[in-house]
Amino acid sequence: MDKSAKKISEHGYPGLLIAIEGTDGAGRSTQIELLRDWLAIEGYGVLISEWKTSRLIAKAIDQAKERNLLHAYTFSLLYASDFADRLEHVIVPALKAGMIVLTDRYTYTAYSRDVVRGASQEWIRKLYDFAPKPDLVFYLKMPVEMLLKRIIGSSGLDYYESGRDIGLSTDFYESFKIYQRKILTEYSKMEKEFSFETVDGTLPVDALQSEMRKKVKELLDSGIIK
Amino acid sequence: MRLSKSHDLPGTLIVVEGVDGSGKSTQISLLRDWLVSTVEDVIFTEWNSSKIISETTKKAKKKNLLTPRTFSLLHAVDFADRLEQIIVPALKAGFIVLADRYVYTAFARDVSRDVDPSWVRNMYGFAINPDLALYFHVPVEISLDRICTNRAPKFYEAGMDLNLSNDPYESYKIFQGRVINEYDKMIKEYGLIKIDGTETVHNQQVTLRKIVTEVLEEKNIRV
Repeated sequence: MDKSAKKISEHGYPGLLIAIEGTDGAGRSTQIELLRDWLAIEGYGVLISEWKTSRLIAKAIDQAKERNLLHAYTFSLLYASDFADRLEHVIVPALKAGMIVLTDRYTYTAYSRDVVRGASQEWIRKLYDFAPKPDLVFYLKMPVEMLLKRIIGSSGLDYYESGRDIGLSTDFYESFKIYQRKILTEYSKMEKEFSFETVDGTLPVDALQSEMRKKVKELLDSGIIK
Repeated sequence: MRLSKSHDLPGTLIVVEGVDGSGKSTQISLLRDWLVSTVEDVIFTEWNSSKIISETTKKAKKKNLLTPRTFSLLHAVDFADRLEQIIVPALKAGFIVLADRYVYTAFARDVSRDVDPSWVRNMYGFAINPDLALYFHVPVEISLDRICTNRAPKFYEAGMDLNLSNDPYESYKIFQGRVINEYDKMIKEYGLIKIDGTETVHNQQVTLRKIVTEVLEEKNIRV
């Protein structure tokens, strides 16, 4: 392969940035773990960074959420702080070191959630304009009915995930359905704009994983990373 | 967004700005005593004091863990929380809200840390536009003299995170000099009212009360 024709990441770092998006219950973490195992066997250095895990801020978010105290802008800014902290202390250093970084959720999560919570699209996008552009964004797409079953069957309904803080309905189940449907609509709007690699989240785990590996392999074969 | 237009809430929002040692806290405290004695419905709020995040920010500052952007975001979280929990409800209920530091503090400090001016202005776009923003101006030497009568400049207030100088006093002068410069630019941009912070406490307070009286009269509040 001609080295000079090598594809270069828009973010400019030697590493590779792959974001996995989708609502709760879409199977993101299962797929990320499987991707990591495979990439490690292939001999790549891999780092996973999950939404809301910065050492500095994650605890403050949980405490505030427990008290149901968060208004829309505070909510947005807390998550943006978490993101900025992880980006500067975890994600960017790994990209500089040439690693493959898999992120469980990325800025698109904020774009959809915060717009549903009433923030303007322009405001939230400008807020995150410092984020490097991923080389690949997987969107695990799921119909809302299936999501509902998965979430109720596992973790149960959560106050914020049900959008109860924005007063959609006093019925928990109804509120959840309305909220998740709004989130899905926002994701759909972004599919084209951000060139999401949309994958069918209703597929069996293995089938979904092999589809994702195929896409990652294509990217690796393009010579984007050493 | 809200910051770029006048609010139509019944209350009155008065903010004081300026570097540390500019005398703004002394002045707002005197203003508060006076207003409480005449109109009663007064609420006071200060920078970085919200319950949900100020502890986190303090901890992070102690460990020098903050990059300028995270620093900026954490202060915005604090501000958003106080705005939504304290300031907006009080304005809706017709209170006079006195704020010791407001969004202009972030604009001055964060930009002095090389954060993009349009990014930080966008971030605070949800803030309520104050009825009156008073800016206490002092030269950086006076700020330093007043701060250091009882202690040395602290790490972040001296901008030590920016590696401007190894000497905290020298670093303070460079960094706070930048902050003053940013404030000066905002006099025009946001219509900040400049008060000479080198004047005597009494003279400043007399000036202040005159300005505040006019603003309150426009809202039909007699003092």
